[in-house]
Amino acid sequence: MNIKSVLESLMFAWGEPLSINEISKILNLPANSIMSVLKEMMDECNGNDARGLIIQKFGNSYQLTTKRENYEYIQNLLQSTVNKSLSTAAMEILSIIAYKQPVTKVEIELIRGVKCSQVVKGLLDKGLIKEAGKLDKPGRPTIYATTDEFLRHFGLSSIDELPSLPGAFLQPLETHSDIENEEEKKAT
Amino acid sequence: MDYSVNINVFQGPFDLLFHLIEKKEIDIYDIPIAEITDQYLEYLKQMLQFNMNVASEFIFMAATLIEIKSQMLLPQKEAEDDPRQELVTKLLEYKLFKDVSEELKKFEDESSFYISKPKEEMAITSDVKTEQLFLNEINIYELYNVYLSLIKKQNFKIEEKEKFKVYRENYRVKDCMDDITKKIKKFGRVSLFSVFKEKESISKEYIITLFLAVLELSNKQGMKIYQDNTYGDIIIIGS
Repeated sequence: MNIKSVLESLMFAWGEPLSINEISKILNLPANSIMSVLKEMMDECNGNDARGLIIQKFGNSYQLTTKRENYEYIQNLLQSTVNKSLSTAAMEILSIIAYKQPVTKVEIELIRGVKCSQVVKGLLDKGLIKEAGKLDKPGRPTIYATTDEFLRHFGLSSIDELPSLPGAFLQPLETHSDIENEEEKKAT
Repeated sequence: MDYSVNINVFQGPFDLLFHLIEKKEIDIYDIPIAEITDQYLEYLKQMLQFNMNVASEFIFMAATLIEIKSQMLLPQKEAEDDPRQELVTKLLEYKLFKDVSEELKKFEDESSFYISKPKEEMAITSDVKTEQLFLNEINIYELYNVYLSLIKKQNFKIEEKEKFKVYRENYRVKDCMDDITKKIKKFGRVSLFSVFKEKESISKEYIITLFLAVLELSNKQGMKIYQDNTYGDIIIIGS
């Protein structure tokens, strides 16, 4: 089996970002070794002028995309569609979640001074955020965090690539030590 | 003054306030509250005149501004905090995320230059032949007829329907809940094992009803349930 060849075919067939766990299951290889092969492939592909596709990493997922510099040619080929970009409210809420995650709706509302349920629901539907558990406080509010789809939407390979903020505001409004992480629960 | 600004443009009271502050080129750390409050209220009036549905958040902010304004009018002791402080902190925090979201917008725009394929409905043709049934042209009567003819062919006998007996409930969840609640009020905590032991003989029905009652109590009244080890005693503690 040529791993690189298989990986390329998998990413082509899947289209959307393909998670490292999924690949690991299919190839029956540890995630670490696949990641280093993918890293190699990214260097090879992304630096090769003769190729039109590159591999992009979004969190724990990898995807084949076209090259930035070929956009104008592709644009001529495609029909222009409605702009899919997010509303101002959605952008503001998403920024708060991205920097303060995991965060509750109440915390978001405190910062923006307006209700946010509708927009949060929209972001959940779009897969840009996820419910990351419940806070062990009265009412057991849901806490929200960003997803790999969020990273893809903004072209970030990891959450650390977000532009940095002046530090003072980054303190969480309340400590989240009492979060019951549902994903961890599932894992155990 | 030109107030013909669509309120939908503003993401909330903080956004509107910022707009006013920026328009007047005011120092955010030294907001002339009286002036800003007047302007803000003028805006709200305009919104109401245009029959716009002014969200309660905007009115809440108006009240906050008026409160700060009145505090500013009172003689202040030196050691006292500036009544504007809390508002300014909040405004700055909101501004921070507003700026960041504009920054993120650039990332969003940039990422749209990379084209990728959405997932398609691709499936590998399976070797196993399956017969596709189209059910949309069949109605329930036809199905019933097919069923009857099958039964006839196979010589099945349709058994007489067993007579259905309805039993009276011996135990009710609500009674069990009341029972446990009473005990918790008295002792603070209740061991489920001890509740079982109160009865000389316990039926399955009683056990199930009691379990349901415990779950209901935890769900509806927020009582906490603890169990130290698997199959161990279950302790219920009042909320």
